[in-house]
Amino acid sequence: MSILNLDKVRKRYDGGETPVEAVRGVTMRLERGDFVALMGPSGCGKSTLLHLCGAMDRPTEGELSIAGTDIRQLGDDQLTLLRRERLGFVFQFFNLLPTLTVLENIELPLLLGGASAVESERRARELAERVGLGHRAHHYPPQISGGEMQRAAIARAVIHQPVLLIADEPTGNLDSENGAIILALLRDLNRDLGLTILMATHSTETAAIAGRLLMMRDGVLLAGQ
Amino acid sequence: MKLFNRFIIRHLLREKWRSLATITGIALGIAVVLAIQMTNASSLRGFEKAIETVSGRASLEIVGSGLGLDEQQVADLGWLRSFGQVTPVVEGEAEAALTDGRHETLRVLGVDILRDRPFRDYNLMEFGGRSPTPQQFLELLIDPKAIVLTEKFARRHGLKTGDEVELTFADRAGRYRIRGLLLDEGPARAIDGNFVLMDIAAAQWALGRLGRLDRLEVLLPDRESIGSAEGEIRSRLPAGVAVQRPARRGTQVEKMLEAFHFNLAALSYIALLVGLFLIYNTVSISVITRREEIGTLRAVGVTRGLILRLFLAEAALLASIGCLLGLALARILSSGAVRLTATTVQSLYIATAASPEPLGIRQVLLAFGIGLPLALLAAALPALEAARVAPMAAMRGNDRLATRYRLRTALLLAPPALFALAWWMARRPPVAGLPLFGYGAAIAIVFGAALLAPAVLFLLGRIGDRILFRLFRVEGRLANANLAGSIPRLSISVAALAVSLSMMVAIAVMIGSFRETVIYWVGQTLQADLYLRPATRNNVATDAPFSPQVEELVANHPEVVAVDRFRNFDLPYGNGLVTIGTGEFSTLLTYGSLQFKDPDGSEAGREAMRQAIGRDEVVVSESFALRYGRTRGETVTLDTPRGSVLFRIAAVYFDYSSDRGILVMDRATFSKYWGEPQATSLTVYLREGADPDRVRDELLAQFGNQYRVFIFTNRTLRDEVLRIFDSTFSITYALEVIAIFVAILGVATTLLTLILERRRELSILRLVGADRKQVRKMVLIEAGLIGTVSQAIGLLIGLLLSLLLIYVINVQSFGWTIRFHLPVGFLLQSSILILLATILAGLYPARVASRLPTTEQVTEE
Repeated sequence: MSILNLDKVRKRYDGGETPVEAVRGVTMRLERGDFVALMGPSGCGKSTLLHLCGAMDRPTEGELSIAGTDIRQLGDDQLTLLRRERLGFVFQFFNLLPTLTVLENIELPLLLGGASAVESERRARELAERVGLGHRAHHYPPQISGGEMQRAAIARAVIHQPVLLIADEPTGNLDSENGAIILALLRDLNRDLGLTILMATHSTETAAIAGRLLMMRDGVLLAGQ
Repeated sequence: MKLFNRFIIRHLLREKWRSLATITGIALGIAVVLAIQMTNASSLRGFEKAIETVSGRASLEIVGSGLGLDEQQVADLGWLRSFGQVTPVVEGEAEAALTDGRHETLRVLGVDILRDRPFRDYNLMEFGGRSPTPQQFLELLIDPKAIVLTEKFARRHGLKTGDEVELTFADRAGRYRIRGLLLDEGPARAIDGNFVLMDIAAAQWALGRLGRLDRLEVLLPDRESIGSAEGEIRSRLPAGVAVQRPARRGTQVEKMLEAFHFNLAALSYIALLVGLFLIYNTVSISVITRREEIGTLRAVGVTRGLILRLFLAEAALLASIGCLLGLALARILSSGAVRLTATTVQSLYIATAASPEPLGIRQVLLAFGIGLPLALLAAALPALEAARVAPMAAMRGNDRLATRYRLRTALLLAPPALFALAWWMARRPPVAGLPLFGYGAAIAIVFGAALLAPAVLFLLGRIGDRILFRLFRVEGRLANANLAGSIPRLSISVAALAVSLSMMVAIAVMIGSFRETVIYWVGQTLQADLYLRPATRNNVATDAPFSPQVEELVANHPEVVAVDRFRNFDLPYGNGLVTIGTGEFSTLLTYGSLQFKDPDGSEAGREAMRQAIGRDEVVVSESFALRYGRTRGETVTLDTPRGSVLFRIAAVYFDYSSDRGILVMDRATFSKYWGEPQATSLTVYLREGADPDRVRDELLAQFGNQYRVFIFTNRTLRDEVLRIFDSTFSITYALEVIAIFVAILGVATTLLTLILERRRELSILRLVGADRKQVRKMVLIEAGLIGTVSQAIGLLIGLLLSLLLIYVINVQSFGWTIRFHLPVGFLLQSSILILLATILAGLYPARVASRLPTTEQVTEE
């Protein structure tokens, strides 16, 4: 069973005066353990495709299944449930909740999923250690560096053992040193845990770490290597 | 202007509901303030207008000391005619029985029609709208049962000339024939047409004032000379007779009502305060949701000053619409308020048939004069925030740095400093009879409480997590963290809500305490079995004495063992009016029971009262002692028909029946100066074991149709006292309900502000797996927390304010000692209600939060 399966997926936005078709017939497949980089210029439809793969939105046409679940039929609550249980997200701007500590941020998906407080905290601590944030567990996001925030975000993204990690420019806002640390962390997770990763990026250097590269332009995939 | 249209108007139209909520809030606030102002004005206006219209063209009045002028005295005042024309007047009240079984109060004017013509216009319908000749008029009124009513009154009740009407004067009911109808002008306009004209002799007879006049009116040929004429007349008048201008009676009443009005007005400003807080919220929302737009405007060259003006203009626009709506709403509210206050004003002060003042330019000026500046003040903070938005930061849409809130020391020191200031001010004496320092202390407490909000929220943020996580799991933790992260913005909302809740608490505690005090006092003081008063005597000091026949019937009833014949009337004292009362001290000492304040203890008080019999001594109410700063052993000077007399204060007793001062003297002392008093109320003690209800029925049967007397048994009088008490305070509760309603609107808009500000965080939350239900639950917990924190602060501050109300403001305004009593049940119930109401207020914001799109904020940077 594929982790992610897209077949002739289209996404059209009818909101404005003229409808915009951001994704125009994308077909792709990610298997367990894949690490795929998605490249393309601004406005090529990368983000929209990522939203679709992250179950934040539904395609207008075509089939899209995540871990065998066809998301076209799912309502908002079911999409939420899917995200909560099977997906993890890492973004360019870290997106930690500023009012929760690092540890509380990391354990959030588990708690929202109804896991016990004790178990959640144990797992969050474990992960915080693993990403090198053991000493920062009780700090608030504004008190730590960008690299540390992104590590915390990664820990939060994987704490519930998702089948697919969606990363959108994870190093886009970091200096090269911290960027390297983040990429290494992603690589380790992919290698050690067999985590499937779909990562959008502008940078060829970042893309180089992935096992496969997809190029996108004007809403379509150019080539699959 | 173009920018204002595009940037502000369109936005307000797009956000219809929020704009509407704000406008409603302002409108309510303004309406309440105006309504109270109009109500206050109208209760006086009704009275002043009655004085004015009935006084006609008179320049000066010659009045006696309390009980009018003796006709004997008047005979010696013939020299007055050298100053101008002089006319005698008898004025009083009667009650007309209407066909539908209701009664209406009429103002009675008895004049000598021959001498009165230059003073007042009497245009009768029957004479083609012209005034009849003196001869014709005399013929009309020659019969003692003849009256002239107003056309307005007649039309209202389907009466015509020649009909008979049943009128009751004091306790005497009789049928009177309508001999003419006055057009709606001159004195006929008094009290909305409730006016009856009689011949002076007939009026004296009907009102039970044979041989007495209420006043002589003097019409000077030349109004310029009024000052010198007044002085000259004063120097020639004998002791016990005074000259004054007609308006003085209005001033005395105004003075009397001042404290009552002032307190109502102060209360009405709370509603306005909360309305302003809504302006603050709305402009905040405008600014928050449009940071990017503001940034863009700044980037293309719009100055900070213009941005500031744009948002201030938004506030001004909202406030203007609110003021306009408020004016309309005030008209409706004021008629309700007039109804609510009418009982109080009538039972405690004066009889008026006031209708609310019509809306005029005065109200429009007042609405805009208060509403606009305050709205601009409320909008200043968020507008400044908008002006500070940097072009770059706003363009990135990400400049809201969630810094951890740090409590500033100055903020921690301010509340205790303000509370100390309040303590100091609470101990200052009143200014010109008004508790101005008391209100200053209240303001200091309120500001102290407002500044307490950040600290309380900070504390909650620190300790709340553990508790809320246990109670509500992760949603509880998130709610707590969200609030802790928005302390600066939240503080204002919590403070505003807490302040309006504290007012509710304070007033509830004050009224609850007052009620308990009155119940206790009534229980101690009301010892007699029956209380009688003439039917028309519905307020404290109407001059409506009993008929001797009624007194006789009561005294001769076999079950009656003692009757205290009590008499009271108004006497000018200082700038206002006091009530002089007289009764048989010996009866009161044997059967009754007063509660003494000074000397302390009932035995010492009774002894002091016993000593006062036969001497020039008075027992005064606490309100007199406090209002005029007199204590036991000191003397007061009263104007009597026999000149000014010094009376020594023998004791001070507790009294809650009236806030004007009462001075009571023994019947013998009274007779010495005012003559034999006619009783205006009878207190009856029955034989042991007698059934008061049966005696009451028997007495009523004996009075028959001839006398109309209200008889209260001990129990029904207690009920009546509480009924008047409760109706006195009903307006207070109505004001409170409005304040709370506006506060709830405030919570809803605050939450909405917070949510819009946190769009990004909410998106993250949704991404990491929070479903809509969880987001809703989180927002509702936040709403509940805001309610709980506000109510907690509100309770604390409310208790402080209630102490201030009870021990300072109330004592200084009304002169009543109230025993503190905590209405635990009410407070508990209202706390739960507030909690539920705030959670209810959170429903809409919760819905908005749960429906925010998951994607937009997070990835599109």
